[in-house]
Amino acid sequence: MQAQETGYRRFKIESRPAPHVYPIPNRFDVRARKIRLAAMLVHEAFEYRFEKEVVLSRPCIYGVFSGHFGGFKPLKHKCVGCMRCVQEYPHIMTVKPSEAYKKLGDSFWTPEMVYTVWNEASTGKIPVKGMGYKGAFGGEGFDGIWTDMSEIVRPTRDGVYGREYISTSVDVGRKPTSIDLDNVIETPRTIEIPLPIIFDELPNGTDNDDVQTAVALAAGKVGTLDVARETRLGRPGPENLLPLIDEEGIEDYEEKQPSILEFDAEKPSVLRKLLTRFDRSIIIGRLPLREDSGQVASELARQGVHGLHLYADYHGRDYSRDPRHISTALRDVHQQLVRDGLRDQVTIIASGGITLAEHVPKAIICGADLVGIDTTILVALQAEFLGETRNRANCGLRPRRINPEWGAQRLVNLMGVWHDQLIEILGAMGMRDVRRLRGDIGRSMMDSELREQSFKGIAWAT
Amino acid sequence: MGNLELIVEKHTERIHRGLEVLPTLKHGLPEGLGNKRWTGDLILATYEQALTGDIPQNGLEYKTGNSGGGFDVLGWKTHDGVAKVDQDQIDLSIPLNKRGEGEKIEIPVPIYGGGMSFGSISLNFMIARARAARRLGTYTSTGEGGYPDQIVPYRNHVITQVATGMFGVREETIQYAPIVEFKYAQGAKPGLGGHLLADKVTSEVAKMRESSMFTSLYSPFPFHSVYSVEDHKKHVDWIKTVNPRALVSVKVSTPTDVDMVAIGSYYAGANVIHIDGGYGGTGAAPEIAKKNIAMPVEYAIPKVHDYLVSEGVRDEITLMASGGIRTADDVAKAIALGADGCVVATAEAVAVGCTHCGNCERGRGCQVGITTTDPELSQFIDPEWGEKRIVNLFNAWSKRLRIILASFGLESIRDLRGRKDLLVRFK
Repeated sequence: MQAQETGYRRFKIESRPAPHVYPIPNRFDVRARKIRLAAMLVHEAFEYRFEKEVVLSRPCIYGVFSGHFGGFKPLKHKCVGCMRCVQEYPHIMTVKPSEAYKKLGDSFWTPEMVYTVWNEASTGKIPVKGMGYKGAFGGEGFDGIWTDMSEIVRPTRDGVYGREYISTSVDVGRKPTSIDLDNVIETPRTIEIPLPIIFDELPNGTDNDDVQTAVALAAGKVGTLDVARETRLGRPGPENLLPLIDEEGIEDYEEKQPSILEFDAEKPSVLRKLLTRFDRSIIIGRLPLREDSGQVASELARQGVHGLHLYADYHGRDYSRDPRHISTALRDVHQQLVRDGLRDQVTIIASGGITLAEHVPKAIICGADLVGIDTTILVALQAEFLGETRNRANCGLRPRRINPEWGAQRLVNLMGVWHDQLIEILGAMGMRDVRRLRGDIGRSMMDSELREQSFKGIAWAT
Repeated sequence: MGNLELIVEKHTERIHRGLEVLPTLKHGLPEGLGNKRWTGDLILATYEQALTGDIPQNGLEYKTGNSGGGFDVLGWKTHDGVAKVDQDQIDLSIPLNKRGEGEKIEIPVPIYGGGMSFGSISLNFMIARARAARRLGTYTSTGEGGYPDQIVPYRNHVITQVATGMFGVREETIQYAPIVEFKYAQGAKPGLGGHLLADKVTSEVAKMRESSMFTSLYSPFPFHSVYSVEDHKKHVDWIKTVNPRALVSVKVSTPTDVDMVAIGSYYAGANVIHIDGGYGGTGAAPEIAKKNIAMPVEYAIPKVHDYLVSEGVRDEITLMASGGIRTADDVAKAIALGADGCVVATAEAVAVGCTHCGNCERGRGCQVGITTTDPELSQFIDPEWGEKRIVNLFNAWSKRLRIILASFGLESIRDLRGRKDLLVRFK
């Protein structure tokens, strides 16, 4: 919820360095065969007539061998994997991804993803690197979607942080489909948040006080919402809370009349109660994504719900009998609501498996208005991976002790850098407003579709 | 010889020797080398081809990477009973001007060098590329960082790039050029403009780009003077006025409507439409842009080719493809998908020692002197040595291209264009 200020202020999330407080594994394991290294030094000492500066000049510009013991005790944390030492001394040096690095994450969170989130949370800067893309060609889910771009369309871009204004604000709530000024029955029930990302409920057992405080502080600083079950009296930034209310808890909230609330929409009978008792609140139904979510969503929209929070598991798979990626499930729901003429009456929040900046625009293209992040919050706060993180009831992430201020800054940085990257995508597409991206499949490209179009006529190998 | 010179000499000699030893696999395949697109095998196979000028014989995979899609899931049909063709007689040349008017330029191999700017790469590597282009009879592109005096002697083989920042674009650099390339967008960062981080903007780079030292340089997006095909036509007219004999190439990225962009470029008077796919190289780009914006070139080529055919203009414009062309097989597959030829840059960098580690954007930049402006590191690449390696690489690629063409009984690379029927797909 944007603070009302006098005068114009362009939305910007202020990042500040928030370095890792727990050591992170080195990416690379650098090793020298010590006897060969000693022999090489002796050989070079004679070759260069004991010119110390020449003999001890090292095959690394990143300082891996700048410690007191040079190659005998490489400073592994400085290695960027450039391989020059291996190029120069292939008989002595080896560089490979470290075992600790390879073990990061789980079957969904790759080490690269964990590192990316850590670094974004630490620096708040867009990851910029040289050379081209290094990963798999396409893939499933978000990996199989490319966003469109425009060769010549504004808004212009002058550098990473300089460009014409692009709005990332979204409305949460229900809008009437037409306005009749002579007969105002329903006023729009919406709130505006400045970026299409909220902090979703944290996995069971991971929301200790420090983590809760960090999330609440960050939500306040960024101006977004955080979903939580407890009332959390005395918590910072209560105006940013999106309380998740169950039937038994309705009475607790009646007096507070929050501006927005979520309920478990698997019990649709609660909706009528909520609509009556919270007649000024925005009411969001929380629903697991399944095969029939489209129909359920339409039904809830007809009954008057203001928004739907559709969630997949933490690996981005829905709860269908044959689980689909959230991108597919979202498209189904979005299209069903469009077909039923109800799409513009409800806001869709999507969560589960939103772990990288590019997932935000891609989820929006698939039909969401905004997304929620969950395990990504914990990863940014350097939680420990204890196993698989897929299951909502038993997620293999354990938060560590943190200073809430530090945690809040990490999350602010993460939101800042995701916001900047969202703007990069929107700018490349020639869009000035993230609202325009919603469900705009025509401005995306699907690997599976392009493959069939472009490789049509090419026989399968036998 | 002072110590600094000795240090440079020592490391130069060892890097160069390493590039010879590593592909022998005497010390095994380095585990930390490569990635899914540029595998360790491909990198070493490129070193080997750059050393010998021949196809690797020691079992290194030199045809495809391991990305699981695109060129990496395409292979060649096996054909029996095709007419025997003398490989030495196979024609690999392609025309760069298919229109009725203007200079008739052909290149003897279906490849020319892509834009890598002064500042993003070292001057020595730039000169090595220009020398190699001259020796091969093809071209290299300046990129958008200006036209150093040292490459003027090779100007008949240098394409002048005009990009949105207009860095170093002067009347004489347009007049030097047999081909002028408009860079509307770049595959690695479509829609985002250029990016040279402050650390690499040394006094020489700043002078060339008429900017301030150690200040990050961005070229804007898009061209502030072009918002339609008509505006683009004005650009082409401007170049033709300054240099009437120059051919015009239009480098674009690969959006959904890349076919429309191509036809627009044709009607604006371009001789070459150059499509740069999303998996291309760069000196620095936001990681999010490399993977997520615009389609890979494998999908864009047939789209553009088919559309130009349906519009009846395919034989009046040359279609060049880039953005992830790593091997001779990639070149041949791109042509079979519908391109006339390919534009290559990263493979040239690998030929002189690049490991595709992706640290080009940093302060001193590249550890082996390719993507750096550091005076010491730049010396690792002697232009003559670099020239030999790049020439050898393309000679090896030419051999492989001839083998592919001979296997189908084709006498010219031009006959391969659009022959998707000669490809097979792997699951």
